[in-house]
Formats: sequence, structure tokens, C-alpha cells
Amino acid sequence: MKWTRYLRSWEFALFVLLLLELAVLGLVNPVFFNLENLLYSTLDFTHILFAALPLTLVIITAGIDISGVSVMGLASITLGLVWVAGVNVFVALAVALLVGVLAGAFNGFFVSRTDVNPLVITLGTLFMFAGLAQGMPALLDKLGFKAYGSAGLAAYQYEGITGLPDAFIALTEGSLGIVPYPFLAVLFFALVLSLLLHKTRFGRYLYLIGVNPKAAAYSGVPIRRVLVWAYVLSGFGAALAGVMLTSYFTSARADLGGDALLPIITAVVLGGADILGGSGTILGTLLAGMILGFLRQGLLALGVTNDLIQVVVGSLLILAMAAKQLLHVYGEYRLKRKALSSKDGR
Amino acid sequence: MKPLLRSREALVTLLLVLLVVVTGLFNPNFFKPDSIVEIFNASLTLVLISLGEMFVILTRGIDVSVGATAGLAAVVLGTTLNLGWPVGAAALAAVAAGTLAGALNAFGVTFLRVPPIIMTLGTLGIYRGLMRIITGGSWIENLPQSIKEPNLWSFLGVPFFVWLTLALLALTAFVTLRVRLARYFYAVGDNEAGAYLLGLPVRWTQFAAYTLAGTFAALAAIVFTSQIGFVSMNAADGFELKAIAANVLGGVSLTGGVGTPVGAAIGALFLTAVHSMLIFLGVPGIWDNAFAGIILLIVVYVDYRVRSALELQRRQARIRGDAGGGA
Repeated sequence: MKWTRYLRSWEFALFVLLLLELAVLGLVNPVFFNLENLLYSTLDFTHILFAALPLTLVIITAGIDISGVSVMGLASITLGLVWVAGVNVFVALAVALLVGVLAGAFNGFFVSRTDVNPLVITLGTLFMFAGLAQGMPALLDKLGFKAYGSAGLAAYQYEGITGLPDAFIALTEGSLGIVPYPFLAVLFFALVLSLLLHKTRFGRYLYLIGVNPKAAAYSGVPIRRVLVWAYVLSGFGAALAGVMLTSYFTSARADLGGDALLPIITAVVLGGADILGGSGTILGTLLAGMILGFLRQGLLALGVTNDLIQVVVGSLLILAMAAKQLLHVYGEYRLKRKALSSKDGR
Repeated sequence: MKPLLRSREALVTLLLVLLVVVTGLFNPNFFKPDSIVEIFNASLTLVLISLGEMFVILTRGIDVSVGATAGLAAVVLGTTLNLGWPVGAAALAAVAAGTLAGALNAFGVTFLRVPPIIMTLGTLGIYRGLMRIITGGSWIENLPQSIKEPNLWSFLGVPFFVWLTLALLALTAFVTLRVRLARYFYAVGDNEAGAYLLGLPVRWTQFAAYTLAGTFAALAAIVFTSQIGFVSMNAADGFELKAIAANVLGGVSLTGGVGTPVGAAIGALFLTAVHSMLIFLGVPGIWDNAFAGIILLIVVYVDYRVRSALELQRRQARIRGDAGGGA
């Protein structure tokens, strides 16, 4: 009885879809049947997963955080600047992650202490963090600190802060067996978040706040604290994504991740989280993110242009949601019919 | 003072005047009519896009595809012009493309029941992708002189497009205030279930809102194409977020049913003015985003404090009034 429930879950459907997708892509292009290649190609979208996984928690509370794409750039440029200042690159990495946590805490405090729509708040911080990331190097340079790295302003504008140590680049170049470190890290991150969401009180609180904030408040849920932590995790995830991209592109840039907003939210929503709050799972987001990532890779390998992929991903998002909504409407219709017919039979 | 604080339009106008005065004190050149007209001229694109977005937000929806819609309309305009179409026909084609793009959003939101942010996020990707597919990824340059001409027309020293936008703004303001059908936007946004029970065409009202957002985005596309004389692939990139910010600044509430066209326009003007003011103050343009974000956060925070203070006052008054009656 119980395992049939698993078979009917959205996550299982996503899992089947993922296998199906890989099979189709593999039949068209045998490269996809090579596990090593497949795992290596995840490097191109692990940053989406890093940001999307904790965003799931925020969306479960009926919130949203669109500032993550700016936090990526902010974390990246922070890492670069701290490193240029002569600090060990791994300490710089920790500082960058701390900036992500602080950015998330700022969002969280603002969201939990006011009744302002989270979309508005994170829209404001999206601009603010992006502006800080763009402005900071220029400001520091004006103050006499050589912020652009050894290559100077022209090179900075073209490729960001470069020349990062090999040990840092190895974070994304290295692999355990055939599994690249970043993908391993994403799986671990997903596991931790999953346990947090499904096995702790904190996780249950997130759902309760999303379903009914008033009921949550009256039953003594520390709403403010829970919300702050949700946004902190989201900021932390975005900073991880920024650090990962910095290592992957071997340069620290303010504009990293700028075009990641659409795929990030698509992954969460396709993963089964309701944008109105109260539902969603980490596993769903992980699977949906991988489906989208491999789809992109597969289409690129087939010679489909980036532009067309954008169209495909957008259409996929809409169709998936429309299908889900129509199924929902149909389900309600059936329930009503059932209720009516049982009344007639009385 | 209190009613003034209660109106977000007044609050933002006050802030705008304050910033203008401060900037003018630092740099008297800022007070020259030319620079003021220049700010108005530069704000037109955002004002038009924000006006369209306002209808959607009034119905408690959101449209994050308006920037991409404007870009798509600009591509249609540029492509048809370079095919040799007369300006009028090309402009009509652009407006039709924008309206159609808006109608697609409307269809998804009202009939497929896709949540607005998901629907428009999806079409954001689709329209941006289509833009590049139509043009093959290159900019549209060498546009005929006929499209650049209207930008040079002026009356009383004020450019034609500024007059046109003002006229459109006045029309929208009048319609939303006085025309029964336009009040439906407010009714639906304020209380969808209530509007439905009153027999209002809820879905068609929402449909109209998203379609209008597309139409206004196309108008904005015509204006900025005429102003800059070419169509880049990043045209109107990020304007969806700026348009939402402008509306929120101008007092159009994301919870629906509250806001005016004048407010949306002032918000858009404000965001553009910040950019010009920073230049006049000698701050590099890269700080634009940071300032826009901080100002948006300050305004929504002040607004929240004012609202909660008023609410507290109201409650205390009620408690005093009902002291004997309980509750």
C-alpha cells in the first residue's frame, strides 16, 4: 500500500522523466550514455541547483527570493576582493559565504518584521546587492586599494579578477572518482536540506507557515526566526553558487549568475513547489533541476542554439504548470461530482 | 500632514523634489530646463512600460515579461522597417506584436490558470529567445530616418514623445478614475471572489490587464527605438523589474486594487531621475542599481511604518470608543 503511494508521487514522475530524457538524448547522441561525460556536464548547472535547493524552503513558506542572482555576483566579487587584499583564498571563500548569509539575513529580517510582499523586498535587494557588487571595486580603487587585481581596470572590465590560485580552481576541476566535487557538494547540500525540511521541527514549521501563517502564529511557531533562517539558507545557497561559478570560470565577477533567475525558479516550480506556499520537496527540486540542466546540455550538443533553448525551457515551464493546474481542476470537479451523487443517493 | 503621508504618490513626489533640490544645490546646472526635459525624455520608456504593468498589478497579478515584450516589439518594428514598410505600418505591427504577446500571457493566466509569475517568467524566456531567433542574434541597425524623425519633433521646447506620453497618462488617469469598465481592474484586484459574485467578468478583466501591459510595452518599444535609432538584443533588458519597482514606489500595491496611473508614472520618473542625479552629483553610473534598491526598500519600509502607526491609532480609538461594550 505504502510503496504505491511513492509511485504516484510527483518526485517519482520526475525521476521517470529524467531517465526517459537521458534515454532519448542517449539514443540521439550516444555521448549521453557515457556516465563520466554525463557527470562532467553537471558542472554547467550545479550553480542553479545550489541556489534552487534552499529557495525551495523559502517558496514553501509562501515567500520568494529573487535576490539570489545578485548574491552570486556579490559573493564572487567579495571573494575576489578579499583575495586581492592578500588573504588566503579559502579564508576569502569563507568571507564570501558569510556575505551570502548576511544578505539572506537582511532579506529575512525585512520579510519577517514587515508585511511588505517578499517579492518587493527581494526586488529591492536584488538591485542593492547587484549595485554593491558593481560599485565596490570602483570605490575601493578610488580609495587607493588596487581592487582590480594585478591586471588593472581594462582587464577587470573584460574578465573580472583573475589569477586565482590553483588550489581554489581545483575545487571545481577535481573529482572523486568520476563524480566532480561540485556535484558531490550539491548532493550533500540536498541531503542536509532534505533532512532539515522533512525530519526536523523547523521543516514542519516552514510548511505550516506556508499553509496558514495565522494558525502557525496562534500555535506558537516562532515565525520570525523560522523565516529569517529560511532566507539565510537561500542567501547561503546563492553564495555557494557564486563561489562555485568563480572557481569554474577562474575569475571573480560582479555579474555572475545574472541570467540564472529563470532556470532557478523553473527548477523549484517544476520540482513541485507551489508558488503560493505549503508544498514542495528538496528531492523534487533536485530532480527538476537535473532534468532542465541535462535538457539544456542535450539540446546544445544537438546543435540547438541557446536562444531556442530559452524558448523551450519557458514553454516547458508553462506547459508543466498548465497541466498541473488542469489536473487539479479536474480533480476538484470529480470530487464535487462525487459529493453531489452521494447526496442524490441518500 | 497625515493625509499627505498616507498617499504614497505624495510621499514619493516629496522625496523626488527633495532629491532634485539637493542635487541642484550641488550642481546648479541641474536646474536648467534642458536637463529637466532630458530627464522626462529619458523616463518615457519606463513610464510607458510601468503604466501597462500597473493594470496587471491592480488585478493582483504580476507580469515579469514586459521588458522582453518591449524587446520583441522593437525587433518587429526594426525588422518591418528594414523590409521597407512605412513607419505607420511598422508601428502598427509592433503594437500588434506586443498586444499579442500580452494576450498570450493573459490566456495562460486566465484560462490555463498558470500562476502569473510562472506564466510570465516562462514567456520572458520565450520572448527573449524569439527576439534573437528573428534577428539571428545581431542588432538591427541602419533604420530609416523616418523612425528617428518623431524624436526630433518638439512643441514649446518639449519633445513630441513627452507630450504623447503625457497625453496617454492623462487619458489613462481619466479612464481609470471615471470609466466604469476600468474600475473593474480595481474591483477584481481588491476582492476577486466579491467581484465574481457581483457578476463582473473577472477573467476578462484580468485578460484585458495582461493584454494592455503588452500594448504599452510595444508603445515603449516604439519610443525607445525612435530615440536611440537601433535595436540591440538587450533592448529593455531588466525593465520588467524596474517597472515593478516603479509601481511599488508610486503606491500601486502588489496586493491588488490600490494605485493610480499618476503614481506609477511618478515612480518611473523617480527611478530615472535617480540615474541623472547621480551623474550630476559626480557618482559613477555603476551605483545606479544600489541606489534604486535602497530607495525602494526605504520607501516600502516608511510606508509600512506609517500604515502600522495609523492602524494602531485606529485600534486605540476603537478601544476607547467601545470601552464599555467589550471586544
